Amino acid sequence: MIDPEGIEYLCSDLEVEHTDVRILMLAWKMQAEKQGYFTLEEWRKGLKALRADTIVKLKKALPELENEVRRPSNYVDFYSYAFRYCLTEEKQKSIDIESICELLELVLGSQYHQQVDMFIQYLKTQIDYKVINMDQWMGFYRFCNEISFPDFNNYDEELAWPLILDNFVEWVKSKQS
Amino acid sequence: MLKKIWKILEQSIHEIYNHNTRGLSFEELYRNAYNMVLHKFGEKLYSGLVSTMTSHLKEIALSIEASQGALFLEELDRKWTEHNKALQMIRDILMYMDRTFIPSTHRTPVHELGLNLWRDNIVHTVKIQVRLKDTLLELVQKERGGEVINRGLMRNIVKMLMDLGSSVYQEDFEKPFLAVSADFYRGESQLFIESCDCGNYLKKAEKRLNEEIERVAHYLDARSEVKITNVVEKEMIESQMTRLVQMENSGLVNMLVDDKYEDLGRMYNLFRRVPNGLTSIRDVMTVHLRETGRHLVSDGERLKDPVDFVQRLLHIKDKHDKIINLAFNNDKMFQNALNSSFEYFINLNTRSPEFISLFVDDKLRKGLKGVSEEDVEIVLDKVMMLFRYLQEKDVFEKYYKQHLAKRLLSAKSVSEDAERSLILKLKTECGYQFTSKLEGMFTDMKTSDDTMQGFYAAMGHELGDGPALAVHVLTTGSWPTQSTTTCNLPPEILTVCNKFKTYYLGTHSGRRLTWQTNMGSADIKATFGRAKHELNVSTYQMCVLMLFNNGDGLSYREVEQATEIPTSDLKRCLQSLACAKGKNVLRKEPMSKDIGEDDTFFFNDKFSSKFYKVKIGTVVAQKESEPEKQETRQRVEEDRKPQIEAAIVRIMKARRVLDHNNIVAEVTKQLQTRFLPNPVVIKKRIESLIEREFLERDKDDRKLYRYLA
Repeated sequence: MIDPEGIEYLCSDLEVEHTDVRILMLAWKMQAEKQGYFTLEEWRKGLKALRADTIVKLKKALPELENEVRRPSNYVDFYSYAFRYCLTEEKQKSIDIESICELLELVLGSQYHQQVDMFIQYLKTQIDYKVINMDQWMGFYRFCNEISFPDFNNYDEELAWPLILDNFVEWVKSKQS
Repeated sequence: MLKKIWKILEQSIHEIYNHNTRGLSFEELYRNAYNMVLHKFGEKLYSGLVSTMTSHLKEIALSIEASQGALFLEELDRKWTEHNKALQMIRDILMYMDRTFIPSTHRTPVHELGLNLWRDNIVHTVKIQVRLKDTLLELVQKERGGEVINRGLMRNIVKMLMDLGSSVYQEDFEKPFLAVSADFYRGESQLFIESCDCGNYLKKAEKRLNEEIERVAHYLDARSEVKITNVVEKEMIESQMTRLVQMENSGLVNMLVDDKYEDLGRMYNLFRRVPNGLTSIRDVMTVHLRETGRHLVSDGERLKDPVDFVQRLLHIKDKHDKIINLAFNNDKMFQNALNSSFEYFINLNTRSPEFISLFVDDKLRKGLKGVSEEDVEIVLDKVMMLFRYLQEKDVFEKYYKQHLAKRLLSAKSVSEDAERSLILKLKTECGYQFTSKLEGMFTDMKTSDDTMQGFYAAMGHELGDGPALAVHVLTTGSWPTQSTTTCNLPPEILTVCNKFKTYYLGTHSGRRLTWQTNMGSADIKATFGRAKHELNVSTYQMCVLMLFNNGDGLSYREVEQATEIPTSDLKRCLQSLACAKGKNVLRKEPMSKDIGEDDTFFFNDKFSSKFYKVKIGTVVAQKESEPEKQETRQRVEEDRKPQIEAAIVRIMKARRVLDHNNIVAEVTKQLQTRFLPNPVVIKKRIESLIEREFLERDKDDRKLYRYLA
């Protein structure tokens, strides 16, 4: 079992910040269940999949891992994994706004820079929602993929978009006018 | 030989035309004609007939042409009649030819030949054709101008044209007739529309229409009726429809406002004849109704008195029902317009449900006192009618329950039969669920009576001279939710209350009783100087007053401390005891209108009233204050959430997979008998159900939701 401290050592060995998204990608590859911990089983599985048995090899495998994750077919899976990974309590279903904002930046920040910035701003100013659930989380990814930004021309609030996104679009539109 | 026979026949035709038929022998002539045909001289006979008749007709034409003025038609008529007589005789004589030679050679039969020759040589001659048409049309116009004409003569001439063939009638008379009439009525309508108000215009139009119908009946072909009425309808009604309906000071709206049943009925009957006539009436009426209703529901003054407000709604409905009944033939189109307008403006005022319940409350408290059973039913049916228009029926239910509770508890209902009748009507309209709790309230009242009897039978001896208690035990689920408040009961009251509690719980173990001190009342005997009075007060008021048995000049704070009644209730209570005219059993210093926390209260031994019994209690249903209204509205919204969720689950369970718009539509449909759900709220509930794993989004098509078993 590698604990949070151990992960920190691992990060410095890999010369990667422990808040770097690649650590999260590594966790995904291992399908690690608990945030901040790698079990022996998970560790073994992950390294085997990456064909790495030394730290050096692991470090070399990181760029390839990143490419693998960024493939559209995998990214959805990775994205939803990221959310689940942050659920620390047993029956927990949602994540607080603060953490969500960090997670968004980490996971989608590079790919959908504008949308993420706007959405984070919205989340921080609104008062209706104190937490975000999986449905809303996934909804946002779909939103980034499908909806043209920043005009929202193809957004139809009468469809099944989560209510929080209806409110987000309304908020952006009122700011724009 | 042949020549001789023909000469005889020819001569006979002459004689016939000259009215010299005395000397003729039918048999001889017939025989001659017969022989000619028999000996194959039919051709000669036929052509001879044609030329002989033609020459006579030409002469006749001259005679007709020569007639002056009015004699023209008379001469034509006379000659026509004679011609027909002659024709008949000739045909009889030539009957053999008619039956044999003519059919085999496909010639025109004698009678028809006679008509055609008349047509070609008389009616269609240059000199007669136009003159005939003009004369006829001139006479029609004279008659339209009010003159009397010879209708019999007209009829004969018109019949002549008809006999000559329907195309003759149409081309020579009907078509020009219709064209001239169109011009005439166009002129009429222009004239009248400038000079008449709507009602009078319609009278004139109706008169003209009836005239034309009568004209046709008297001297035209029946098939012309629909054609000429179309002309009148088009020129006098259709072309001026909009202007008439919208005419200032006399148009449709004025007629509606002033209950002009006759004018409205006339308008209905005339307008239904033209395309879009009735719809144009309906549309203007709808706009007017909506405006009137909207005005009523937004009028601040009117809204101060809920009972009056509802009364006015009923008045508007009655007024327009009567109009639709008397003037619009109970036409469903108008009933629907009235209904949709009502639905529109009743729901503009969010307080309509509350006000309608207050109206009912007023009726059931005093309005229906001494009224016959039938009349009670009429009033209740009217209430139900308004109820049906409400979109937020669940809000009505909440208020109705509150008001009913107050009525029952203060025993202020005029008639239990009337109460039950209304509940039955609500049940029929909304189903069992709506009324089951209401019925529970009645049951509790009955049961409480029995309980009290049992209590006094069992404990009567113990209670002796103590205060007499009357308890209503209310089952929590059935009665409107009340928040329990603090209140310290006076010791003698507390004692007897506890005795009751013990008794009740003795026979009903497992239950819990909580005194609802904000809903009770008390009768207290009080002595003011030398005057004795019996005061009917609320429980709170009783608690306050009893303090003055043990002290006087009590400060607000002392009263507050002793009674522990919540502040706003206490203030209202003290106000009703010390500041209300004619009911000021307490005196307050300072004498201001409002209760201040530094005020002091004294027993007012100078209080007087001409009545022995004085009512000070305030348990009457009233229009809610703003904060109360907000609270009720919030509770209604909270109640709606589970109902919406239940509807969503029901629908998804049946359909398994459904897209968002359809869910919203289905939910709205299912709940429409209770309220109109907000689509945003529906969306929120769906998301909540997703979170709780009742539903999920479809993995492939994100527009769909799936039911999770």
